[in-house]
Order: sequence, then structure tokens, then C-alpha cells
Amino acid sequence: MDRFFEALFLGLSSGAIYALVALAIVVIFRGTGTLNFAQGEMATMSAFVAWIFDDMGVPLAISVLIGMAFGFLLGAATEVSIIRPLQKKSSLAVFVATIALFLGINALTNGIWGTPPEESLDSLFPNDPDDFVRLLGTVWRYTSIGALVVTLAVTALLFLLFQKTRFGLAMRGVASNAESSRLVGIPTGRVLAGSWGIAGALGALAATIVAGNNGQVTPTMMFTVFVYATAAATLGGLDSPGGAVVGGLLIGVIENVAAEFSEDWVGQDMKLAVALLVIFVVLLFKPSGLFGTAKVERV
Amino acid sequence: MSGDEHATGAALLEVTGLRAGYGQINVLHDIDLSVGANEVVVVLGANGAGKTTTMRAISGTIPRDGSITFAGEVVTKSAADSIVRAGIAQVPQGRGTFPELTVEDNLRIGAYTRRDGNAAVRSDIDRWYTTFPRLAERREQRAGSLSGGEQQMVAIARALMSRPTLLLCDEPSLGLAPRITQELFAIIATLSEQGVAVLLVEQNANLAMRIAHRVYLLETGRIVASGDAATIAADDSIRKAYLGY
Repeated sequence: MDRFFEALFLGLSSGAIYALVALAIVVIFRGTGTLNFAQGEMATMSAFVAWIFDDMGVPLAISVLIGMAFGFLLGAATEVSIIRPLQKKSSLAVFVATIALFLGINALTNGIWGTPPEESLDSLFPNDPDDFVRLLGTVWRYTSIGALVVTLAVTALLFLLFQKTRFGLAMRGVASNAESSRLVGIPTGRVLAGSWGIAGALGALAATIVAGNNGQVTPTMMFTVFVYATAAATLGGLDSPGGAVVGGLLIGVIENVAAEFSEDWVGQDMKLAVALLVIFVVLLFKPSGLFGTAKVERV
Repeated sequence: MSGDEHATGAALLEVTGLRAGYGQINVLHDIDLSVGANEVVVVLGANGAGKTTTMRAISGTIPRDGSITFAGEVVTKSAADSIVRAGIAQVPQGRGTFPELTVEDNLRIGAYTRRDGNAAVRSDIDRWYTTFPRLAERREQRAGSLSGGEQQMVAIARALMSRPTLLLCDEPSLGLAPRITQELFAIIATLSEQGVAVLLVEQNANLAMRIAHRVYLLETGRIVASGDAATIAADDSIRKAYLGY
């Protein structure tokens, strides 16, 4: 049973990170209907920006906020300058553009920060060897608990934003019917840029947590996180923020339990394959995900 | 046939030489029309005559040329959201609702441009619930789950939530049962008594003529006739072409 709780907790804490990035994916998908392949790379770049300020002696929490602000601007600028003009041409062009962005930003971060010495970043949460509590026979590190708490807090904030604010109502409106949104006077361009910005900030937060857990920022640190997050968003439903969180936590738990209890078969090496299997199975049997809205057209 | 005697003085909406289309294709060729305050004006035309394009050009959702003046201000170059702020609300053809949002949120989002506080918005929502009691019963339901007629009511109430002085209605009767259409038209007719002018485009000429003060006939992007509803209805050739008797 201890092994199970250990795998469960490990799963929840890594799942919290997947959930954050999955939320970013969902916020963008609801707005522009785009799967942003560059989400992870944009987040990595923002984490490097946070590192620059941290390295200059700015307090870590402020550095992370600056990184998130950079992520916001990067996301919003991407929507305005790349996604919006291309969307008028074709959705395939947008799809290709986000892959190009993925490659381009990765090359950029590699070029600027890729050579050792590595850029070290502290964790936002207490991360000394003795910073943990024992619960149900397993070690729960503060860093993991912190990631979980941050994810739940961000989810609650996003829920309030969507349900209780004017901007949130506008975001839901644009997601539901873009033409009617213009007709009720919503500046749809600003809403879409804002959605990409929020996603960029969420990704930045996730990336600084990942970097904090690893102790350093590396150009490739969000690769696998992004794959897991995509699986999480697919599982939860690409247009459902709540689904993204549930999906993220589920994927985290599934991969860790699979690795723990099927050591010889899945093990640590094939964890990622579990995520791909989940994407495949969900797309096959429930394309709209667990909580996503199935597209129904009244003719 | 000069039909402008109704719109004496400065009209609320004055459209002259309006041209608009899609890409290289021009649909509207120099349209002139006007709507006076508290007037119900109907534009009749067959499929493809340019009715929807006219609406879109006025509401600023497609590029257009010519001159559009609203309440004394030139709005030809204004973006869709500033046109709503100026006081023009459009009920688009077909589903003008936000299907994933509740009926109540559909009405709230209709008040997006308003800055007069929650209490005023709340009292307007209740006002339209009184006008459309069926929407009050379904306020927590997703708009997409309602019947066609109910969705059209949501779309109209949603448009009225911006407190427009001019309501553009694009074929509200499309796909609805005759009884529902009559109900809707009766409500549209009362709007002009409440200070909202209406510009209605329709294929359903019989019903539309009954609530119209003035009528324009649109054929392949040109206004071919206009006048008082009574005058138009009395014209034999027009009656045969549009009313079918």
C-alpha cells in the first residue's frame, strides 16, 4: 500500500505541473481553436527570463512574477503578430506556425543559454533535504505540495476569472460564437490576445516550478511536460479548464502507478508512452474528452 | 416613388451610396436607405438580393464604402464594437446566440458595452424576461438547448440588452413555425413604441408588411422601389412579385 501512496503522491505532484500547462493549452484552444505546440518552449523562455532577474539578485518570487509577465507579453504578441494574420489564411498555416515557433524558440533558448554552466534557479518552496512531511507512510516534499497548492489556487482564480468577471464572460462568449461576440461589442482581438497572454503566464509559472524542482533552467526541460500536458488536455477535454486539471492529475497518477507497478514492462523509461497511449485511446473513443463539449450543430 | 415622407428631418440612420461585398465580389451597388427614430423599416428581397450583406455592412462586420450616418455621426469606418456603443444592435441570421452559455449569460453578455452598473443591467434582464416569459423559465439552460423560436427570442433580447436605438433584424422568421413568427413580429412591432427603431430584412413579405411603416425592395444589390407600406402593398406588380396574390 505504501508503494501505491508513494506513486499516487508522486503522480499528483507531477500531475499538478501537467495540469498548469494543460490549462494554458485549454485557454488558447477555447479562444482561437489552436493547439499551441510552442506552449512549452514559450514557458521555458519565460523561465530563463525569471532566472536572469533571480541571478541579478531580485527576490525569487518577484523574478517569477517578471517571468510570468514576460510569458504574458510573449503569448499576446504571438497571437497578434503571427496567429491572427495566419488564421485569415488557413488553420493549417496556424498549425504549422506553432510547430515552427516550437523549433524557433527552442533554437533561440539553446543558442543563448544552452552552453554550460547551467542556469541554476531555486525552488519557490522550501527545498532542503529535510523539507518534507510524512503522510500515509510516504514522504511528501514541500516542493511537491507547493506545486499542488499553486495549481489548485490558479485553477480557482481562473474559475473566478471565467465565471465572475466581465473579461471572463467575454472570453466565454468569443469561445462560443465569435461573430455574435463582435455584434455585442466585444473587442474580440483584445480578448484573444489576452487569452494567449494568460496562457503564456500560466506556462511561465509551470516552467519556473519545474526549474525550481530540477534546481536549474534547461532549454529542453518542458519537452516531456508538454507531451503529458497535451495528453491531459485531450483526456479532460480541450475546451474544459476543469477537465485540464483533472486530466493533468490523472495522467500524473497513471504514469507513476504504471511505472511503479509494472517496473519490468513500463518502468521509468516508457512512462511517456503511457501518455501517448492515453491520447490515442481518448481520441478513439471519446474525441471530446471527459469534460469537453461535443460539437453539436443544429441545422 | 419617393417614400421618405415618414423620415422627416434628420433620420436616425442615413445610408447613402453603400457598397459592400466579399473579397473581389461586390454585392451591394450604391444602396440608399434611411430609418427614422421609432420607425419600423422593412427591406424585402429574395435569396441573394443582398439583405444580409446590407445588415453586415451597417453593423460593421464587413468592410464597406459609401456613407453611413447614425444619430448625426458618420460611422462608415467604425469597427463593430464602436457601432454597438453608438446604439445599433444586430440580430444576425440563424443562430445569433451563444449556444454554450446559459440564457442568463447570453443576456448579460448583451450588456457588454454598458457602463451603467449591475443594477441597471439586472433590471433590464428582468424586463426582457417579462417580455419573453419562456426565457425566464429557461434562464439556467444553455441557449443551444432551446428550440429555434426560443433561440431567436434569446438573440433579440440579447441585442436589446445593449439598449440600442436601432435594432437590425436579419430574417427572424427563418425556420420558425408561423405561430412563433407572428408572436415575434408582434413583439418587434411594439419595440418602436418603446423608442427602438427597427430595420428588418425579410423574405416573409406578408408578415413583415403588416408591421412596417416603410418598405424598401432590394434586387441583386440595388434598391428598386421604396415607399410607405400601404403604397407598396397597393402596387399591383410589386404585390404579385413579393406578396404572391
